[in-house]
Amino acid sequence: MTDDLTIREPPKLLVPVRVLEGETLPETLVDFLAPAEIVVLGYHVLPEQTPTEQASMQFEERAQAAVDDVAHAFETAGRTVETRVAFTHDRDQTVARVAAEVDATATLLPNPAGEIEDVLVAIRGAIDTDRLADLVATLVGGSDRRVTVWGVAPDDGDFDIEAAVADARETLRERGVEADVLTTEVSASDRPVADIVERSNEFDVIVMGEGDAGLSSLLFGDESERVAEGAIAPVLIVRERHDEA
Amino acid sequence: MDTGYGSGGDENANRTGEAPATVIDPSAEADEASVTESGTELERSIGLVGGLSVGVGTMIGAGIFVFPGLAAGQAGPAAAGSFAIGAVIALLVALPASELATAMPRSGGGYYFISRALGALPGAVVGISIWLGLVFATAFYLVGFGNYAAAVLAEAGVSLGGSGVVVPLALVFGVLLTGLNLFGTENAATLQNYVVGLLLTILVIFLGYGSLDALGVFGSASTPEQFMPFGPVPMFTTAALVFTSYLGFAQVATIAGDIKNPGRNLPVAMVGSVLIVGVLYVTTIFIATSAFGSAALSSFGETAIVEVARAFAGRFGAIAILLAGLLATVSSANASILSTSRAVFAVSKDALLPTVASRMNLKYGTPHVALAMGGGPTLVLIALGEVEVLAEVASFLHLVMYGLICVALVVMRRDEPEWYDPDFRVPAYPLIAIPGALASFGLIAFMQRASQIIGVAIMLAAAGWYKYYASDVSLKGVL
Repeated sequence: MTDDLTIREPPKLLVPVRVLEGETLPETLVDFLAPAEIVVLGYHVLPEQTPTEQASMQFEERAQAAVDDVAHAFETAGRTVETRVAFTHDRDQTVARVAAEVDATATLLPNPAGEIEDVLVAIRGAIDTDRLADLVATLVGGSDRRVTVWGVAPDDGDFDIEAAVADARETLRERGVEADVLTTEVSASDRPVADIVERSNEFDVIVMGEGDAGLSSLLFGDESERVAEGAIAPVLIVRERHDEA
Repeated sequence: MDTGYGSGGDENANRTGEAPATVIDPSAEADEASVTESGTELERSIGLVGGLSVGVGTMIGAGIFVFPGLAAGQAGPAAAGSFAIGAVIALLVALPASELATAMPRSGGGYYFISRALGALPGAVVGISIWLGLVFATAFYLVGFGNYAAAVLAEAGVSLGGSGVVVPLALVFGVLLTGLNLFGTENAATLQNYVVGLLLTILVIFLGYGSLDALGVFGSASTPEQFMPFGPVPMFTTAALVFTSYLGFAQVATIAGDIKNPGRNLPVAMVGSVLIVGVLYVTTIFIATSAFGSAALSSFGETAIVEVARAFAGRFGAIAILLAGLLATVSSANASILSTSRAVFAVSKDALLPTVASRMNLKYGTPHVALAMGGGPTLVLIALGEVEVLAEVASFLHLVMYGLICVALVVMRRDEPEWYDPDFRVPAYPLIAIPGALASFGLIAFMQRASQIIGVAIMLAAAGWYKYYASDVSLKGVL
């Protein structure tokens, strides 16, 4: 484990699970995530013709039991876990609401995972480096997992990606990630999302920011979600720090 | 009146021992999600557009695609006034319904308010008769669809042997819509939004062009006709006839449990949908009577609006309006099927019907029993014919519910229980709710005797069922 003093803000992870469809988390992923505070959100998506109240009458107990199973896996790995159960017509709305309510550092988009040895930190633009570093350092701290910080952004001079990658590396070092597991790379790309998806098979977990709500996310959905859909590895989306005032 | 405080003390269960299910913890109500008693969150995910599309989608059919010819024949150009009167009465009910819905934003709509404010017996009568009323209305809309589909085929030169195709077309589409709702992983409600959007676009273009034409922007201004050729009285009796085209705004409240930010969205969706369809109806009559004069319009009967469109834009206009008629009847039928299933759920959750009616299947995530209890009888009614009488019975049953909604508001306000905390309060409520109740019950008096008898018989049967099956169930004031 890292020295706790180096972590400024203990990261909290929101883990959404489609409970009634029997979705479970790979054991290796549970072990990898367990150092963070965990909130398990068991959810079930209904077609709009079904009142959520009706579904909860019939399936609430089953959903709660399934969420408790997932939580139990984390507890075995040495964590007490907060659980939430939700019936919804709109998965994204529910995940975003719960993430805001618990003030999660990051949200997991699950994908199958094997042994977790290589972690990709993908930087596409401005990102909350402190939050990112707290999260990554907490998860990989003290292990021999390799961390690759990869800056991938369009080469149009709007954003100094080299500086952002250097800053992220520096902050990770401060939080206690050893220099010998850290690698940095920078690539120019006009389609960073597609490039991240393409390389996802080289890594076991991807950590990235929410990305901006630009035109393409209006047309094709959230960028980070497109990565999760295309990627082979689980993705952790670091949330922007929302002003709680 | 028996308010449902059963003599069996704390039994509060129906004949088979099922008790009303308390699902949502009323103290944990929020704008974005409700919370059940064991802590499960129920996301509110339908926005204002979804709410408006249920209200407008249910209502839009009849006022434009059935009534213009009939109403102009009875009242002349003053038929526009009849539609305006209808809109005012609908608003008198929509405002109290909005207040009650924001105080009790749960699935079930009118049934829910009435059972909580007036007790289980009136609740059971309204709940069961609205279920049947919606079944009748759905059958009526589907036959309307069959008529328009047959007219489209005729326009396209496809001959399928005359008028015999209406009922088969209606049946096929009824099966399709029920199936879509039963097995639809794609959201039927989202589809509804698109149908209503496309329909409104066609109508706004048509009515915009027609208004400019009627005012003399293109070509010559039409000859002004005397506004009330038959005097003022037919304007009011015609209002009773065309009020059918305002049935549906309260359906917004049946999805209240799933509406986001209900304190704002429910009143805006209910009142807004009445205003939108009211403006469209009045404009339609104005244009139609300007284009043809009410006598000619009357001679075209139920498809008068198609002839109006043909006069403006030739064959293309006629086809566009026929297409709009298809969309309007589909959206009304679909919205009614959705409301039926919610009405059945709300009543069976309270143990007034066997709770098996609120079962759903996990694979498709849809309430298959309740949907079948809506779609099944609808198909039988279409096959048997006689849906027009039943459409008026549907109006009768809706009007009873509307009147009781107004009564429920007065009851709630006169002795406000502690839990009663609506986000929206009707200003000067007695001046709205009392005329609303009188107008709703008053319109029933203008209906055909047969409809009145069938309507009363259904209500008596519902009351009898309650006495037999669930007389120990108490709902008054139970959130």
